[in-house]
Amino acid sequence: MTISTHTAPAVGGPTGSSIADAPLAARTRGLRKVYRNTVAVDHVDLDVPEGAVLGMLGPNGSGKTTTIRMLLGLVSPTAGTASLLGQEMPGGAARALPRVGALVEGPGFHPFLSGRENLRRSAAAEPLLTAGQISGAVEDALQRVSLAEAADRKYRGYSLGMKQRLGLASALLVPRELVVLDEPTNGLDPAGTREVRKVIAELHGAGSTVLVSSHLLAEVEATCTHVAVLHQGTVVAQGELADLLEAGNPTLLVSTPDAEQSVESLRDNRIPAQLAPGGVRVDLSAVSQPEVLRTLVRAGIDVYEARRERTGLEELFARLTENGLNDTEAADEPEIADDVWLDRLDAGQAAKQEAR
Amino acid sequence: MTATTAETPTPVASAARRAPLIRLLRAELRWVFRRPRTLVVLGLLALIPISVGISAAIADSSAGAAEGPPLFSMMAGNGLALSVGTLAITIMLLLPLVTAMSSADAIAGESAHGTLRGLLVAPVGRIRLLGVKAFGVACVALCAVLVIAVTGFLTGLVMSGPDGLFTISGTTLSIGAALGKLAVAVGWVAVQLWAVGAVALAISAYTEHPMLVVVGVLAGDILFAVLGGLSALSWLHPFLITESWSALPDVLRDPMPTEALTEGTLRAACYIIIGLSLAGARMLTKDG
Repeated sequence: MTISTHTAPAVGGPTGSSIADAPLAARTRGLRKVYRNTVAVDHVDLDVPEGAVLGMLGPNGSGKTTTIRMLLGLVSPTAGTASLLGQEMPGGAARALPRVGALVEGPGFHPFLSGRENLRRSAAAEPLLTAGQISGAVEDALQRVSLAEAADRKYRGYSLGMKQRLGLASALLVPRELVVLDEPTNGLDPAGTREVRKVIAELHGAGSTVLVSSHLLAEVEATCTHVAVLHQGTVVAQGELADLLEAGNPTLLVSTPDAEQSVESLRDNRIPAQLAPGGVRVDLSAVSQPEVLRTLVRAGIDVYEARRERTGLEELFARLTENGLNDTEAADEPEIADDVWLDRLDAGQAAKQEAR
Repeated sequence: MTATTAETPTPVASAARRAPLIRLLRAELRWVFRRPRTLVVLGLLALIPISVGISAAIADSSAGAAEGPPLFSMMAGNGLALSVGTLAITIMLLLPLVTAMSSADAIAGESAHGTLRGLLVAPVGRIRLLGVKAFGVACVALCAVLVIAVTGFLTGLVMSGPDGLFTISGTTLSIGAALGKLAVAVGWVAVQLWAVGAVALAISAYTEHPMLVVVGVLAGDILFAVLGGLSALSWLHPFLITESWSALPDVLRDPMPTEALTEGTLRAACYIIIGLSLAGARMLTKDG
């Protein structure tokens, strides 16, 4: 069984409808980029709703940076369209980019200048800053990433984390409608990572849209409202974080001393279940929670505790990427659950196909 | 370009905004002239006319004025001849290399540091960015020429006072007239270097390796000089920019023959147009 993004079943769901309704800060359609003989990105249909914090999740080489570069107009797509704040890129760069802050492919600064001088140089190129605002904007940005004390040191002497902070600072020079951060926590220590999360939360609170890419799941799970998962140059899943977390098999963990008997009686009622430590794990994609409990109690089984198990984004991510999208564990898992799960993942794609 | 409709709900948001050009140019100059490399090179260039003047004076006093090439013996203690003579020597290789170094840092160097995409997403328009970069390179080239001219002239004044300003033709010039001729030489050499810079910027736009730009200009300079030396290729010579460069000592004649200098300027203009066009074409399609 293989997930394909373009042959999506037309199943409506919470994922699809919410994306279709919200105005989009960034949008790509059929985006494709070929470098010589390598297809870096193909059929990328990405939606970044306004006001969302969208985490772009994917292993290294999955096309995250290439997609971001096309969104920012740094690279022209081979095919497809990318639009940013309502402007087609790369043509609308002059209209869209002043309102966009970006940290792409790591921080880029000159080693012989101090952090402050580097930032002043970036600020001089910012269209929305007047000459009088530059100093203040630079100091604010330095404060915001806790780099004020090291601002006069040469960039050459900065640690990896300080360089990353300076890159973040240059994205924050102007109040932005959209901030694009490519792997912002690279090289940061835990304190630095927390600060980046804080900055993202502040941006979100101020109404900015944030597009943040990462290969770290915990990062995305901690900071994002929306997720798009990229794999081998294609968006394989996207939607609200909560929906995608639920999209994995919703399961119920029932602790009971009569585990084997429970599994038997549940399966007799055509409810998928399997043994778990201390009890049974019941698949909830086809039945409701009370129904499961009713079945068990009617069969005379003692139930100590029933707990809804949330599927972590990690499991979702692992299934999408590490298994190469082929469900190798199909034998262990009830098929019906997989189908529902896939339908939900593809709901967003279906909505888009209708829009076309 | 920025047609603003009267009743747009968010006029500020939808209009194309650009950072003022003057601010960009100033930021570029600050960046160029804070780079240690630029300052070191300019400092070394200042030493050349001084050392040439001293060595010419030593050669002059030990061997007598009649021997050696006339320009070289003139350079001993003649501020104008020393300046123009040093420019004539350095334009052959050294000044083009300085220009190439600056061009290399301008685009390829920024690309290698990852700072080019920072400017592109600011955004600075791609052609605008090329203009800013060309301005920076032109300023460095002009500074390099000025540093040689000024230190050469001052060295000459220190060594023999304001009376030794005679020309190849035998006339003696007032300081004002000598400075006028020096200004012509400076302007003419600067234009030649801008031609080199334009071609170097084109190479710079095509690569991420600053070293390639310097190597390319060095190789081109040597190749052109070799080609210029082959009389069998005389049909090719009008196209070689290096052919112009031997015309510089014409400035020291009185009256100044302008034919070769004008031809050199026109040739340089062609190189500037071609070089900047190639660089612009590449900038528009370049991956940032």
